[in-house]
Amino acid sequence: MTHDPRQAWLAETHAHGDIAAWLDAIPYARRLGIEPVGSGFAPLYRLAPKPENIGNPLLPALHGGVVAAFMETAGLLELMRVGESPRLPKLIDFAIDYLRSARVVPTLARCEITREGRRLANVSVVAWQEDEARPVARARLHALLVSPEG
Amino acid sequence: MGHAIEERSEAQWRLAMTRFVGAVPHARALGLEVTAVSPRLRMRLPWQADLLGDARRGLVHGGVLTMLLDTLCGSAVLRELPAPEVCPTLDLRVDHFRPGVAGQDLWGEAWVVRLSEAVAFTEGLIWQTPERPLARGIGNFARLGARNTPPGFAEALFADPEPTP
Repeated sequence: MTHDPRQAWLAETHAHGDIAAWLDAIPYARRLGIEPVGSGFAPLYRLAPKPENIGNPLLPALHGGVVAAFMETAGLLELMRVGESPRLPKLIDFAIDYLRSARVVPTLARCEITREGRRLANVSVVAWQEDEARPVARARLHALLVSPEG
Repeated sequence: MGHAIEERSEAQWRLAMTRFVGAVPHARALGLEVTAVSPRLRMRLPWQADLLGDARRGLVHGGVLTMLLDTLCGSAVLRELPAPEVCPTLDLRVDHFRPGVAGQDLWGEAWVVRLSEAVAFTEGLIWQTPERPLARGIGNFARLGARNTPPGFAEALFADPEPTP
């Protein structure tokens, strides 16, 4: 067996569910202000209401693409966290439905791993602001699960 | 009242698109630039380390491509409308053909496939190297109509450029 430092890092962070360590390696997520909220069984993810994340300055509303990037990041982080083995998800496709305009307040996301197979996974993500019953967007993604050695 | 699209020159459209994108705080913060308005709307996002989604492997964040496609497709709609109108994204689907790599600018184009009374159907493409697309986007946008468009929207986009001092 080769000892790849990336595999060792992934195994170590996976063992501890160290989402913060993964976020450190995702500069765009840091720039947007994405962080996990709470800990333990099913963390939520949070997008900070930074002025730079605005898409429509008149309403004002968050950029739809920023909301999408947030939900994609949350889905992939959640896949890394709950995956049975330490593997990196490679995004295959992503689809989002916008349900309400996202105001410039904190946005939360909850993920559900809809399928985790040997190579492929499907994740659903819902994002809301003040009221989880009034989501601002729903998204889904497919990812390929790969070993970082490959 | 709205002007027919034929009345605008390419130079006017280029200025209008530059203003439209420049008014989007996230796009402005990243330095997104309109490089062409015909035959298709084209934009360039200059390379910067903040675009990475996997700093260890030097790969661009997939969400950057989604953000670009949303901006590109939404802006492409503007050109096809009889008069500027607010059109929020209804939905967007992105297929990731290959990851973007560190150190290279991102380029994208978008176009309107069909404009109906209520919806604009669009497509877009992102690449770093020509002929090697990174991602394809399919975005639908709702037409809110003149009634829900702020007064002065068209005028602000097409006002004569300020003389440089």
